[in-house]
Amino acid sequence: MRNVWLVVKREYLERVRTRAFVIFTLLMPALVGAMVFVPAKLAGSKSGGTRHVVVVASDASLGEGVRRELQDKSGADEQNRDSADRTNVVATTYKVDVNTAPGEDLRQRLVADVSAGNIDGFVWLTDEAITARKFRYSTKNANDFVEGSAIRNAVSAALMKQQLSAHGVSAVEAENMLRRISMDTIRVDKGQESKPTSTIAFLLPFLLMMMIYMTVLLYGVAVMRSVLEEKTNRVVEVLLSSITARELMAGKILGVGAVGLTQILIWVVLGGVFSAPTMVAMRPYLADLQMPVTVYVFFPVFFVLGYMLYSTMYAGVASMVNSEDEAQQMQWPIILPLILCTVFAMAVIRQPNSQLAFWTSMFPLTAPIVMFVRIVSQQPPMWQIGLSVAILVVTIYGLMSLCSRIFRVGILMYGKRPTLPELLKWLKYSG
Amino acid sequence: MNNILELHSVTKRFDSFTAVEELSFVIPKGTVYGLLGPNGAGKTTSIRMTIGITMPDSGEVRLFDEPFRREHLKRIGYLPEERGLYKRMKIQELLVFLAQLKGVPHADATQRAARWLDRLELGKWAKAKAEELSKGMQQKVQFIAAVLHDPDFLILDEPFSGLDPNNARDLLDVLLEQRKAGKTIMFSTHRMETVERVCDAICLVNHGRSVLEGKLKDVKGGYGKSSIHLEFEGELPFLDRKDLFQSVNNYGNFVELRLNPGVDSQEVLRMASEAARVTKFELVEPSLEAIFIDTVERTEVAHA
Repeated sequence: MRNVWLVVKREYLERVRTRAFVIFTLLMPALVGAMVFVPAKLAGSKSGGTRHVVVVASDASLGEGVRRELQDKSGADEQNRDSADRTNVVATTYKVDVNTAPGEDLRQRLVADVSAGNIDGFVWLTDEAITARKFRYSTKNANDFVEGSAIRNAVSAALMKQQLSAHGVSAVEAENMLRRISMDTIRVDKGQESKPTSTIAFLLPFLLMMMIYMTVLLYGVAVMRSVLEEKTNRVVEVLLSSITARELMAGKILGVGAVGLTQILIWVVLGGVFSAPTMVAMRPYLADLQMPVTVYVFFPVFFVLGYMLYSTMYAGVASMVNSEDEAQQMQWPIILPLILCTVFAMAVIRQPNSQLAFWTSMFPLTAPIVMFVRIVSQQPPMWQIGLSVAILVVTIYGLMSLCSRIFRVGILMYGKRPTLPELLKWLKYSG
Repeated sequence: MNNILELHSVTKRFDSFTAVEELSFVIPKGTVYGLLGPNGAGKTTSIRMTIGITMPDSGEVRLFDEPFRREHLKRIGYLPEERGLYKRMKIQELLVFLAQLKGVPHADATQRAARWLDRLELGKWAKAKAEELSKGMQQKVQFIAAVLHDPDFLILDEPFSGLDPNNARDLLDVLLEQRKAGKTIMFSTHRMETVERVCDAICLVNHGRSVLEGKLKDVKGGYGKSSIHLEFEGELPFLDRKDLFQSVNNYGNFVELRLNPGVDSQEVLRMASEAARVTKFELVEPSLEAIFIDTVERTEVAHA
């Protein structure tokens, strides 16, 4: 154990002290920050303003209706907004003029106004357009789909209200009829209804899953490099005259793993500090994120197990090959199950109690991700979680001793990459 | 404690290739032992089996009068043939790390590393990274790594290869000093004159088998004073006579001759002085190099 600890310590200190580590650790949050904040800033600067729109309608009452819909949009009727609007934190307000004399002159004048920037756009709502149920909105930026849908919704609501009132429905009644119905999805857990979950809560397992996935890819490769380094600089023979291959292997995996966890921890802390103001502002939405405590308990468990499993496999690959090029080619047996995990996870989220969910959460290569997804979406019985963890631990132990045996023979044989029969022979020699 | 290392009928096969076959030898305490043999004879595999890097298929390895245990490794220093250091690590830290793996406490290891670095004139490089050092300096660092934990048994695989004469001299001095301190040393080498000067006993390995083993005195004595060193000017036409000589090493105006049993050395002197001008004639024990070449050639024939 002391030996493993010494290897871990060396591996950790050597890596953390490199310039590359410091730069990458600090640069990553800066990049992510830039990716999140810059577009938000740009989008916010535009959507915050007042848009001046002209509605040209043969029917004055329809034009008036559209004007009301657009101008009210920024105000009271929260109910009519869909979730896409909610994310647009700073609302746009509209200034609407109504014109009831459509004609070619007016049209050309309005086009000139749009292009001169006097107005932001105009809606062409003639009787023909209404009969055809197809109207035109002319604006400089035809790609702004948020504004496009706002205009279309306003026209469609105004038209519907007008037609309803033509059938003798009062304005208040029409308003009521057009109100959107919203739905809360309630999670039933241990015979109790818990808080409503939102889209964000549905995304959480995906986020955490991606976190496991990315970490494994990023640090698994680091483990592979580290083992390869040992082979190429040939220190290993000196080390093996003091410690066993298994101790060395375990030390390397844990050491690089600790570096990865340190990096993630730094990112989480930095992220927490910088996004604290946003978090406070978004508190109403974050309330939806409440998950059972077990999720927070099991996330680190499956994260660490998943990481250990895959980095052991990466170490195994490294002990079979002599260069990084060769290692690249040998990576697919590791990446394939990882990709399969994400595919299964989709299916499992929808049906957490299916046969597929059960078996993929027991099979060690998919278990870390699938079992965690199951715990988030609908907690399986404790014995299943326990069994899955046990299978993982046994597999990791087995893989580690298998890999260290390959490692022990592989490091002492330079030259071409072994074939499968040769590998089996290696396992025999190292007995 | 009598024997530091004993190999008993140790065999190691890699698939169809037999690297080491029925190898046995014993290294008593305080001995400097030379493991000799041509390239690919199985020296490195034998060494790896004595320190548990590879396991023998059959036979027994005993260390310090006990069956092999990993705890023994703390008392062994090893310099492998394949040299390597962590390139980006500082020399002193690297040495301390390796000593800690051998069970030396951190503070102790730091002190010893500094002392050894000074001793081998590497003191001012202690804070340098391994990749900044020359090949020769790196090799000295590796040697320090092998002796830093003050092992009772030093195993050195080709310790002199790649060293310039000065560095080789320094290394030899340290080895002699270690022997004086009662340490046991086993090394493999191709440098016969070094072996002749420092080894107490040798084992000559060829094709994984021991072909000649024993105390250096006995090995050389076994051949008797049956060799002639002859310096001359002119031509010696009788050198290819197989009835007279077991072997002939002709260096131009110096030959080393091994006589067949029953051949009179005085007869050779008479023939030589008739054919050429003899400047030196000496009856000697054969050199280790001659024994080496001769034995290897003989076993080569037997192996074929």
